[in-house]
Amino acid sequence: KHNLCFYWSLCVTVKTVLKIYMFSAATIIKLCRKVDVFSIITKLDVYPGLMVTAGLIHYILNLLHVTVHIRDVCVFLAPVFSGLTAISTYLLTRELWNQGAGLLAACFIAIVPGYISRSVAGSFDNEGIAIFALQFTYYLWVKSVKTGSVFWTIGCCLSYFYMVSAWGGYVFIINLIPLHVFALLLMQRYSRRVYIAYSTFYIVGLILSMQVPFVGFQPIRTSEHMAAAGVFALLQAYAFLQYLKDRLTRQEFQTLFFLGISLAACIVFLTVIYLTYTGRAHKLQPVCVFLLSRLHSYAKIHIPIIASVSEHQPTTWVSFFFDLHILVCTFPAGLWFCIKNINDERVFVALYAISAVYFAGVMVRLMLTLTPVVCMLSAVAFSSVFEHYMGDDTKREKPPEKAEEGLGPNIKSIVTMLMLMLLMMFAVHCTWVTSNAYSSPSVVLASYNHDGTRNILDDFREAYYWLRQNTDEHARVMSWWDYGYQIAGMANRTTLVDNNTWNNSHIALVGKAMSSNESAAYEIMRSLDVDYVLIIFGGVIGYSGDDINKFLWMVRIAEGEHPKDIRESDYFTPQGEFRVDKAGSPTLLNCLMYKMSYYRFGEITPPGFDRTRNAEIGNKDIKFKHLEEAFTSEHWLVRIYKVKSVTSGLSRIVVRFILRTSVLLFFLLFFYFLLECGEA
Amino acid sequence: MTRRSAFVAVCLLFVAALSSEVSADGLVNEDVKRTVDLSTHLAKITAEIVLSNHGQSSVQSFILAVDADLAPHMAYIGASVKGDEEEHGTLELQQTSIQGQRGEFYKVLLPSTLAAGAQLKVKTEMMFSHVLKPFPTQITQAERQLVVFQGNHYLYSPYPTRSQTTRVRLASKTVESYTKLGNPSKTDEIIEYGPFRDVAPFSEDALKIHYENNTPFLTITSITRTIEVSHWGNIAVEETIDLRHTGAILKGPFSRYDYQRQSDSGISSVKSFKTILPASAQDVYYRDEIGNISTSHLQVLDDSVEVEVRPRFPLFGGWKTHYIIGYNLPSYEYLYTLGEQYALKMRLVDHVYDDQVIDYMTVKIILPEGAKNIHVDTPYKIDRMPNQLHYTYLDTFGRPVLVATKNNLVEQHIQDFVVHYTFNKILMLQEPLLVVGAFYILFFTVIIYVRLDFAITKDPAAEVRMKVASITEQVLTLVNRRLGLYRHMDEVVNRYKQSRDTGALNSGRKTLEADHRTLTSEISSLQARLKTEGSDLAEKVGEIQKLDGQVKELVCRSCSEAERLVGGKVKKETYIESEKSLTGRRQELISRIDSLLDAL
Repeated sequence: KHNLCFYWSLCVTVKTVLKIYMFSAATIIKLCRKVDVFSIITKLDVYPGLMVTAGLIHYILNLLHVTVHIRDVCVFLAPVFSGLTAISTYLLTRELWNQGAGLLAACFIAIVPGYISRSVAGSFDNEGIAIFALQFTYYLWVKSVKTGSVFWTIGCCLSYFYMVSAWGGYVFIINLIPLHVFALLLMQRYSRRVYIAYSTFYIVGLILSMQVPFVGFQPIRTSEHMAAAGVFALLQAYAFLQYLKDRLTRQEFQTLFFLGISLAACIVFLTVIYLTYTGRAHKLQPVCVFLLSRLHSYAKIHIPIIASVSEHQPTTWVSFFFDLHILVCTFPAGLWFCIKNINDERVFVALYAISAVYFAGVMVRLMLTLTPVVCMLSAVAFSSVFEHYMGDDTKREKPPEKAEEGLGPNIKSIVTMLMLMLLMMFAVHCTWVTSNAYSSPSVVLASYNHDGTRNILDDFREAYYWLRQNTDEHARVMSWWDYGYQIAGMANRTTLVDNNTWNNSHIALVGKAMSSNESAAYEIMRSLDVDYVLIIFGGVIGYSGDDINKFLWMVRIAEGEHPKDIRESDYFTPQGEFRVDKAGSPTLLNCLMYKMSYYRFGEITPPGFDRTRNAEIGNKDIKFKHLEEAFTSEHWLVRIYKVKSVTSGLSRIVVRFILRTSVLLFFLLFFYFLLECGEA
Repeated sequence: MTRRSAFVAVCLLFVAALSSEVSADGLVNEDVKRTVDLSTHLAKITAEIVLSNHGQSSVQSFILAVDADLAPHMAYIGASVKGDEEEHGTLELQQTSIQGQRGEFYKVLLPSTLAAGAQLKVKTEMMFSHVLKPFPTQITQAERQLVVFQGNHYLYSPYPTRSQTTRVRLASKTVESYTKLGNPSKTDEIIEYGPFRDVAPFSEDALKIHYENNTPFLTITSITRTIEVSHWGNIAVEETIDLRHTGAILKGPFSRYDYQRQSDSGISSVKSFKTILPASAQDVYYRDEIGNISTSHLQVLDDSVEVEVRPRFPLFGGWKTHYIIGYNLPSYEYLYTLGEQYALKMRLVDHVYDDQVIDYMTVKIILPEGAKNIHVDTPYKIDRMPNQLHYTYLDTFGRPVLVATKNNLVEQHIQDFVVHYTFNKILMLQEPLLVVGAFYILFFTVIIYVRLDFAITKDPAAEVRMKVASITEQVLTLVNRRLGLYRHMDEVVNRYKQSRDTGALNSGRKTLEADHRTLTSEISSLQARLKTEGSDLAEKVGEIQKLDGQVKELVCRSCSEAERLVGGKVKKETYIESEKSLTGRRQELISRIDSLLDAL
């Protein structure tokens, strides 16, 4: 039936983030017309790594006359980079444990759902390349701590630079590495190798990271980078003391040590006083406090916009299991193995694991940083178990320990079988999750009939393409920010707010327009110079992710900025329910969002029955004064309204005026004529 | 009234006399049956004309005229001779002009001369695009589309016409108004004018019809057709199409509710249409900038492939859309070759929808890299642009691209073109060789990198290790050769036992001694070198030497035993016994040496 499926096959296999790829592809196509890569970097207000990578690959391929479209480069960038991630995970695990564990870790990271979600074809996302950069930086760091060679450290810095240019998550590296060094100092594991590695890394990495325009001077200003600086100073002092220790007698050294300590304490004390005096104390906020406040409570209480994104919710146990399956149970064992046989690099992986677990617990999105370390440690656990139970003792001439002789062949085979079963179930789970949760593009919906035939609901693209083709090129579209990128990419029209809008007041203004009544909304829309309003409405087909279901967030965000005009309580029934039927609050039943969603919906059969909310709507007689239905997609999923322009209103007034005056004139003439006749 | 009509008749006669002078060749349109087909968004005007030669001499050609008002919109003009039984042959047309007359004129060359007094039946066909003007120009979704056609009641011709009829076919029964010259009859969708008798040359009389026409007013505002030829057996065709509904513009809102619930809502809008592709078309795709358009169906028929093209949204008046449709064709159906000569024969423009109108077309033909001496035969005049170069996978100097454009095309333009070019078949190997070469260079570089030492610092430990490895290699070969000597000696002894030739035995023993000495000294020198390198392997080599000495001794003893046996100094049984013990010990020693060698 659907034979024209060249592109469709792609659409199905690619994952949800078609919207982002579309947006970014469009951006890149625009950007790549400019030859100079650096001019692109300086003009962007985002992390440029992703775009530069894709642009560079496209440029090189085309230089070799492999004429790949930039879109295809973008689509396949994430899978290619996930391959690189697997390789760097292998390398890192090999440094930590052994080759066997490395291979297992690479296998795990290749299929684990927590990472697949970011690495399927079509997910053109910062995280896609950032995880590779993260793992590779850690590998090079471990290597440089092991060897103490400047070569590896410089490699680590370059990799860190790439990470900084790609993702804001680089803060994780710049805190974890100092933490590692600090832990090594505490554990009396200081060595020259560590000194060389960290000193080089801190200086070169700092300078390189400041070259990224979006980061700029942050590394020396903001508190999340202060830990690195502090550890750097500490390491220098420690090294100096070590040097003195070699030169001085014990007595001299002790005196000097106490003198130094008290001096340092004095300096720190004075600095803190000075900074407090000048009002810059917040820059000394400890890192963890900062992260805590930023990611956790602060975000939740103060910014409804961050809380409104499902990715920023705290992680549930279910999602841990969903994304990691058996690995979440085995990785503590790996951690224990590492701690039991501790050395410099295993200190690192232990810290990595603990901090990543904490962050993943804070919000779902940071599950991503946890996934690689879980894969590595689980691989360590599995590999040790297999080594113990699968060892071939016919080759071993003398069993080194008596205890091992106690392992009968039965126990060995049972344990091995169990472990293999676990791994098999893990693989099955991964395939299932990947095919069910991460393989359908959210832009195209599919439903299945009773006989198994598939219906494709392509309403989003239908409406976006209509916007692209049949509206003015400079038309401005107002919609909730979720659809900003989609409209920019697919419809190629200007939007008021999009997925990258950080200006809360803009979003709040759109929220206010949506939650006000029509005339108030019209004022806002006129002040924002809006030509079209786009909403998503799932009531006809029962699509639950529509704007009415998101509506309360709009109200909350609007209330945050305009508490006088919008009150969340107005939208609830006296019983505190959010209802769209007759019992719903009148404010809700007359707000713009409600009217736009249900315009002419009352006429369809069964009369005005909303399948998403399973209710008959409360306001079926909806009329617009300032808006006009411009387009509604086939299944009513996307509705676009045109804001009547002032000029058309003006012309209507003029026409009415002319008509009235002409009628008046006609009657006057008629009377005059009658009078004339009468006189005659 | 009678006075007036007489005046008109005189005038007409006068004009007729005048014009008969103008058309010096003396041709007269005896009988004209004109059909104006307005049932689609095109105006098709066909006329069956019986031409008769009233002049003195025979004529070779006649003139076909196009009304001045319609001429700018003319997409196609053609004429054919209508025979009695055989198929009519199309005639050649040349554009010409007549002084002092408006309109466009074409000289039609007849296949054979028309003798004086003879008659000929010809059929002319003209297609006009964008001559049906929507009126009112804007309608709401519920309204029907009305259009106006303005033309000529008469056949516009440089020759006098004896008798003619004009039949107008409309799209629907609903007619707002029409001109009523000569009291026309109207039945359903057809209006019949005439017959008009003795019409003067170049006579014009405005025909105006205002009627309902809800047929799809689709126009392809621009189409780019790219044909990419590969000599590996494939021709890829891709059409990028900009489509617009050029009927009455939609006024006011578009209501999906009305469109879905009421069948006559938006009756003039276009929901879908059919595109017919060649029968061998494969891998058809239909998409636009934002991906595959899922609302389409493909049907493979015996003689064609039908695509039901459904744009993402229904097209209302004034709305436009844009899409790409592409497919692959096997080259053996379209590409002909003789030696190095190639000829590509394909359609210049293909079917998009029935009664199509193309405002602007660009055709790009991408030939394989290295095609030379290109020349193109087109079925009608087309504007050639300068050739371009196209670079795709693994191209080095670019593929030649022929570019041509044309305005205002209709269905009649679906005709074949032929491109002739020469191509050296060796060039087909260029790209595979390129890939092979690239991989060769890659592997070679890797080999060089692995084999040669590019380190700027020396690593003494690694060097020692490599030295030791090479020495042990040498030791291995030497020891094996030494063991070989013993086997050789055994053979010598055996032969001696049969031949009893003491001389041979002695010489054999001598060579053994000599060879053994040189080998042993070589091995010990290697052992000394190993020692200087500080490797613990030297001890093992020493052990091997020691064991070897014992083996040597055993060999010598077995040799002397054999001598004694031959000399009759020992009994056979004792010899066999001692021989057995000797070989047993030797085997043991050799296996120990082997295990040591393995350990090396």
